[in-house]
Amino acid sequence: MMEYKAPKEAYKGVVREVTIGKGDKTMKVGGENILPLHFFDEGSLPNPPKFVLEVLDMEPADKTPHLLEPFGDAISDPIKWAKKCEGFGVDAICLSLVSTDPAEKDAPADGAAQLVKRMLGEIKKPLIVYGSGDEKKDAEVLTKVAQVCAGENLLIGPVQKENYEVVGKAILDNGHVAIAQSPLDINLLKELSVKLCKFLPPEKVVIDPLSSALGYGIEYSFSLIERVKQIGVITKDSMTMMPIIANLGDECWKTKQAKENKTQGLLWEGMTALSLYLAGANILILRHPETLKLLKETIGR
Amino acid sequence: MIIIGENIHVIAKDVSVAIRERNAKVIQGLTKEQTQSGAHYIDVNVGPMKKDTEETMKWLVNCVQEATNLPLSIDTMNPVAMEAGLKYCKKRAIINSASGKTESKAQMLPLAKKYNANVVISVMTDKGMPPEVESKIESIMETVAHANDLGIPNEDVWVDPIILPVSTAGEGQNIAVGNLEFIKILQDVIPGVKSTVGLSNISNGVPAHLRPILNRTYLVMLARNGLYSAIADPLDEELMAFMKGELPKITDLIYRTMDGEEVDLSSLPQKEVAYVKTARVLMAQSLYSDAWLEI
Repeated sequence: MMEYKAPKEAYKGVVREVTIGKGDKTMKVGGENILPLHFFDEGSLPNPPKFVLEVLDMEPADKTPHLLEPFGDAISDPIKWAKKCEGFGVDAICLSLVSTDPAEKDAPADGAAQLVKRMLGEIKKPLIVYGSGDEKKDAEVLTKVAQVCAGENLLIGPVQKENYEVVGKAILDNGHVAIAQSPLDINLLKELSVKLCKFLPPEKVVIDPLSSALGYGIEYSFSLIERVKQIGVITKDSMTMMPIIANLGDECWKTKQAKENKTQGLLWEGMTALSLYLAGANILILRHPETLKLLKETIGR
Repeated sequence: MIIIGENIHVIAKDVSVAIRERNAKVIQGLTKEQTQSGAHYIDVNVGPMKKDTEETMKWLVNCVQEATNLPLSIDTMNPVAMEAGLKYCKKRAIINSASGKTESKAQMLPLAKKYNANVVISVMTDKGMPPEVESKIESIMETVAHANDLGIPNEDVWVDPIILPVSTAGEGQNIAVGNLEFIKILQDVIPGVKSTVGLSNISNGVPAHLRPILNRTYLVMLARNGLYSAIADPLDEELMAFMKGELPKITDLIYRTMDGEEVDLSSLPQKEVAYVKTARVLMAQSLYSDAWLEI
């Protein structure tokens, strides 16, 4: 009888290894030359995907009790909140500057940047900073954050096609890493990478393809992340060979299913995260510490 | 390459206004320009033309014919407008277009026999657009067989595989590659048929200044694979120059890229680099983005 020999693929593309943070507060993402979880192929995954908990810079407007309960009083103080998260065993903290959103409090850039700086001094993990997503306001806020925290190698975004020149330049000039965000379209995603990388070294870019929650378009996010990975690793397309960040926690906790009850919420966030992990996300941002625990148990870490 | 001049198109605002106001000057201007630029047919695209069909078609067809000796291609999905136009064509016209849809087979195809016209037949069926090369071939074989039954010989059939924008998220590039394959094997499958494409659709949705290079490169590629004709812009001088064989060096670069050769870009002038990059995108060797020339 012929002995069965499993086929073994070897790919030519390597996802760029990106370092976030500095000193003893660093983490590395990317660096793999295999498809997600294809450990049977030639190659390796030097940096397993990272799990991050998200902290808001203001008391959450959404008071879903089972989402806020693990943090207690800390939700009124972003730094305490971040420290609580560190206690849950995260790889990094994500600070969302939601209060700067013109549709929220329209809080000024200066205060937001000062908060980021203070938080940096207090936490022991690398820091990811997300602006509100308002392209105009972010151009101001994220530029300020980059300047005030110069040299800290923060992961800062979202950098979008409307503000990449301003925000990208501030990130370059002040030694940080950019989150390039495009609206769920692989052609637009590549275009933004091309434009950013005209002045930013490609190993200073992480891709955010936009993550949708289970039941709210996760199929699009899944196949897009999968495709970005395939095109990077298999066809060695330089402009998609970046690590991918899946900012999914907030999207999940916006759903009525997650708000309804705790078990459902944890599973909603957990299944969304697990799916995007399987698709190939390198960084996953969650809201609930018990989801984090659930995921670590499932994945076996 | 037979070029069917695309510029009299009802989607263009000046054309639709000119038709509505019976402004012969605009229509005849476009006709003359395209004729002088070397077009072989003048396409008259009137859209669905639901109002004043008979009278408008009579005016329009006569108006165009006064300004050119070229034959016309009547471009509408409405069989009533089609017949109204064909009635006034002095030369052997093209019906643009019929398809494998039941309605089209019943109402459009018979007009080719009745008016002794050429007919563009697309791969569309009642189920929509066949997704793969194989299913496109299957569908077109069926429809052409039906045309033969109606007494239309293969030589009068111009097969259209339907070009879709290369820029549509993901699939566009694969479809572009598939259509090249389709044109390549068409003669083996249905000997004697002609072929045509709506060329500019390849660059639909792409920033305007980047459209011509996509159109030209794709036409060079299709021509290599045996395409007989294209509905295209004859006023694009470079496009016409390619078709007259006046740009052999770039044509060769495009062919080599089609064959999978990694052309060394460092020694090439900028213009030639742009054509190689465009060919790579159209062969799906490199993921499309609007910034494809900037990489």
